[in-house]
Amino acid sequence: MPTTRPAQATRSTRRTPAPRSRRSSPPPSPSRPARRIPLVPILFGVIGLFGVVAVVASRGAGHDGVPAGVQQVRPVSVSGTALPVLGDGADPAEGVVIPEVDGKDFAGDPVALRRDGVPKLIVFLAHWCPHCRNEVPVITGWLADKGAPEGVELLSVSTAASLDRPNYPPSTWLDQEGWTLPALVDDADGTVARAYGLSAFPFFVAVDAQGEVVARGSGELDVEALEHLIDRARSG
Amino acid sequence: MDTEAATLLFAFLAVSAELAVLAAVVLAVAGRWSPTVAAWRRELATWVGPDALRLACVVAAVCTAGSLYLSEVANFRPCFLCWVQRGFMYPLVLLLAIAAWRRAYRTGIVLAGVAVLGGTVSVYHILVERFPTLESSACDPTNPCSLIWVERFGYLTIPTMALSGFALIAVLALAARP
Repeated sequence: MPTTRPAQATRSTRRTPAPRSRRSSPPPSPSRPARRIPLVPILFGVIGLFGVVAVVASRGAGHDGVPAGVQQVRPVSVSGTALPVLGDGADPAEGVVIPEVDGKDFAGDPVALRRDGVPKLIVFLAHWCPHCRNEVPVITGWLADKGAPEGVELLSVSTAASLDRPNYPPSTWLDQEGWTLPALVDDADGTVARAYGLSAFPFFVAVDAQGEVVARGSGELDVEALEHLIDRARSG
Repeated sequence: MDTEAATLLFAFLAVSAELAVLAAVVLAVAGRWSPTVAAWRRELATWVGPDALRLACVVAAVCTAGSLYLSEVANFRPCFLCWVQRGFMYPLVLLLAIAAWRRAYRTGIVLAGVAVLGGTVSVYHILVERFPTLESSACDPTNPCSLIWVERFGYLTIPTMALSGFALIAVLALAARP
């Protein structure tokens, strides 16, 4: 008895999958929620809400007021030849006479850098520089411990002051640090800094009694390095 | 909106991103031990997965807009490391937009990798801010990377905010699924 064979699928009856568009949505997974939360609009809404809160919360905030008469930049007068910028290797300014500068401090009192027969150590500071902010307490602590060095005048120059940069104003910063050295305030163009060949902050210039550069350096210095510079200025 | 308000907004967004990333990490870790948490994680993935690439694109766009605001409006000059981070973030806006449009969910792992690389640079930048001697013992007079332009809530600096953005983008890209 012939056996019946199950009907075989023919080309006409074989199910062919419908062609899928490359950009058609994938079939929903069984666990996919039927109604999706509009996460992107919600995210925009949250950003907008935060924006409103930020505007309201920041009203009245800003830089602390600077006392009247205190200026963070002041005009300066420089005479003499500018020192070359300190680079790597031997300092080209060694033995070169320093330019003389007439200026004022934050309060408007005169401060000068002169070839007056007194050895000097001049330190250039920028309020926004983290290394200057580390160096100032080292110097103030050293002065508090040992007092002003004999025979060498210590002076500072506040330069590169900028309202847009952190730790402004420099006058307040130095006051808070208990800075006692005379601070000549540079102009907005950094004229004094350029005249002394500043390459980085903090910047040190050791000057002998003849008004000539004996050493320059940049970067944080410890007490030992500061005393070495003082000795070099004193001995010439 | 002034700079004060804008940086506060960016800080809020960064904290939100950090909380979202923390929640994702907790769910991922705890889900290995707790079937209940694993179920929560799967449920959350079904809600977020289909939109994850679009959300990541929005995050990248907000980070990009924020960085441009800080440099072009607030005049915070970007240093070298800022530019490297921008080199990772800015293309992510376009890549994520294309991936979301094409529903290319499988590219999520690659895009997450880009975000992780960008976040690595952010981590280094954060270290330079906290330990300036990593960069140098002195400040470049033009624009050192150790300069902290903004610090909100005691820890949120610009690279920290960028790291928060990169982390959230990576999490969302990894969560992308149909």
